[in-house]
Amino acid sequence: MAKSVNIQIASVHLTSKFWQTFVAIMGVTFGVSMYIFMNSFMNGVNKTQDDLAFSALSHIRIYNQDNNHSYNPIESEYDNSRTVFNIHNRKSIQYTSGIKNSSGIVSLVEKQEEVVAVARQINFSVFFRSGSKKINGRVSGIELEPEDKLFKSSETVTQGNWNNLQTHKSGIIIGKLLAKDLGLQVNSSINVLTSDGVSKNYIIVGIFESSIKEIDKTKAYLNITAARQLLGENSDYASDILINIKDRDYTAPVVKKLGLLIPLQIESWQEANEQLVAGASLRNVIAIAVSFTILLVAGFGIYNIMNMTINEKIKEIAILKATGFSGKDIKSIFLSQAGAIGLLGGFLGVVLGYLISLLINQVPFNVASLETLPIYFRVQDFVLAVVFGLLTTLIAGYLPSKKAARVDPVTIIRG
Amino acid sequence: MENKESLKIRNLIKYFHEPETFQVLKGVSFEVKKGEFLSIVGKSGSGKSTLLYVLSTMDTDYEGTLQINGDLLTGKTQNQLAAFRNEHIGFVFQFHYLLPEFSCLQNVMLPALKLGKYSTKEIEHKAYESLRLLDIEDQALKSANKLSGGQQQRVAIARALINNPSIIMSDEPTGNLDSKNTQAVLDIFKGLAKENGQTIICVTHDTDFANKTDRTIEMADGLII
Repeated sequence: MAKSVNIQIASVHLTSKFWQTFVAIMGVTFGVSMYIFMNSFMNGVNKTQDDLAFSALSHIRIYNQDNNHSYNPIESEYDNSRTVFNIHNRKSIQYTSGIKNSSGIVSLVEKQEEVVAVARQINFSVFFRSGSKKINGRVSGIELEPEDKLFKSSETVTQGNWNNLQTHKSGIIIGKLLAKDLGLQVNSSINVLTSDGVSKNYIIVGIFESSIKEIDKTKAYLNITAARQLLGENSDYASDILINIKDRDYTAPVVKKLGLLIPLQIESWQEANEQLVAGASLRNVIAIAVSFTILLVAGFGIYNIMNMTINEKIKEIAILKATGFSGKDIKSIFLSQAGAIGLLGGFLGVVLGYLISLLINQVPFNVASLETLPIYFRVQDFVLAVVFGLLTTLIAGYLPSKKAARVDPVTIIRG
Repeated sequence: MENKESLKIRNLIKYFHEPETFQVLKGVSFEVKKGEFLSIVGKSGSGKSTLLYVLSTMDTDYEGTLQINGDLLTGKTQNQLAAFRNEHIGFVFQFHYLLPEFSCLQNVMLPALKLGKYSTKEIEHKAYESLRLLDIEDQALKSANKLSGGQQQRVAIARALINNPSIIMSDEPTGNLDSKNTQAVLDIFKGLAKENGQTIICVTHDTDFANKTDRTIEMADGLII
């Protein structure tokens, strides 16, 4: 009963000063809507960037490369002895890079519950030759189905067909710009020269166009069996094993787990691409900083308005106290005003933020794979925006309402 | 019943500390009986208003003791005193002090809604009765700041009555009313004391008004003469 009187008084206060209330609500509305818009926009940018990056990047990569130069049988043998030794013309012996028994590792990896897709690749540098033209590039020998599962590569093929690689033993799919530079079309013949001096002719069965120019200019796909043949490797050979997991943000535990099982180099995308991680987190910091600044400004606005209201109504507060309203009641009267402003402002802010984001999503922006400015909505941004909006108003309303609760009716009424 | 004690103070002493320490009340003691219409008179600065605010429980910065209806109120917390005022004390101020954003009816109803003893319907009914008693029922739904001074004062009295308080206190109730309205307020107070047995304590410097009350206490320099 007593509670509802306080709320009744609060609502009379709010409605009798419409413009003041309106301005306070608008402050919160802008704060909340900016929070939603900034975060949705940043999410959109991050997502676009990630989509771009992960069109050619797996979450985890397993490989075997010679980066262990420390082995030296002579030095280790005579270590700490007084023997003087001198080695002339030291040479490295050939290091067996690549993974010889890839299917064992693949089946090990596939047993992990976090793993969504595994694909083997053989990557190597070649010269693409056509007539007198010679272009430096890279070939990926790939397993068709898993590769498509990881990178949706089949969608990038604009001419010909991704699955042609399966049927044509000597088929190759090359990048659009590479084809242009060599003056080749589908069904043309192309010569590939490896670093070991092996040369072989292939038929172009497809042309792909990714969103990354450098790849379109230099890359070609072979079936993995054709690649093994070209390099003279065994039928279980792969240079890389690429893994996608359920949540790409949590690669660390999976990497750790695989590290115990597999004696090869295992690298998460975060380790390999620190600039991506840094970019995303910097953008998030900016988004949060901007939206909190706006909420803070709105908070000061509400603080000011509440203070003014309380100074204006100081006589009425005295009367209420004289007729039996306690300090607690007065506080709840003014806090519920702040709460109402926060709730209404938060609600309007959600609507406005959503509309602004939709509007921005219509702005044309023709760069890379984008057509308009990217927006990506997440429920948590909306929830947090309302929570922060409400918190700001309650904090901004708390101090003035505490002051109101302390009003001494005697001094006010006696004048 | 007639002789039951309504309010009792013993040796009230109060200081003002601003602008410099000054003793306003120098040991005041008296009792008021239930149903008595008491007036306190004195010159400006005699301490009569200060005394009333101590009696009202709003001012707690004093020495001595204050009892109302046998309850010792000295030393209680502000929140306890607010609840006590709400139920047992009605106020009428010099400048009528209504809440301007509320209608007269709402102004009258607020203390009862705060008390929460009756349903809103019953309170509204009682508020109308109170307003009728003061002959101002027709203004009930008007905004409080649209009324004349005399009308506002009557609404303020109606508000003081809503919770059936045992004591009604008033600081210069007729301070800015003309003689006709002054007479009306006096008659209302007299009726309340006589018919409802409510104790009434008025601070006034209007000697004509004071002479028509049951008892007059005159103060000078913080003491009862």
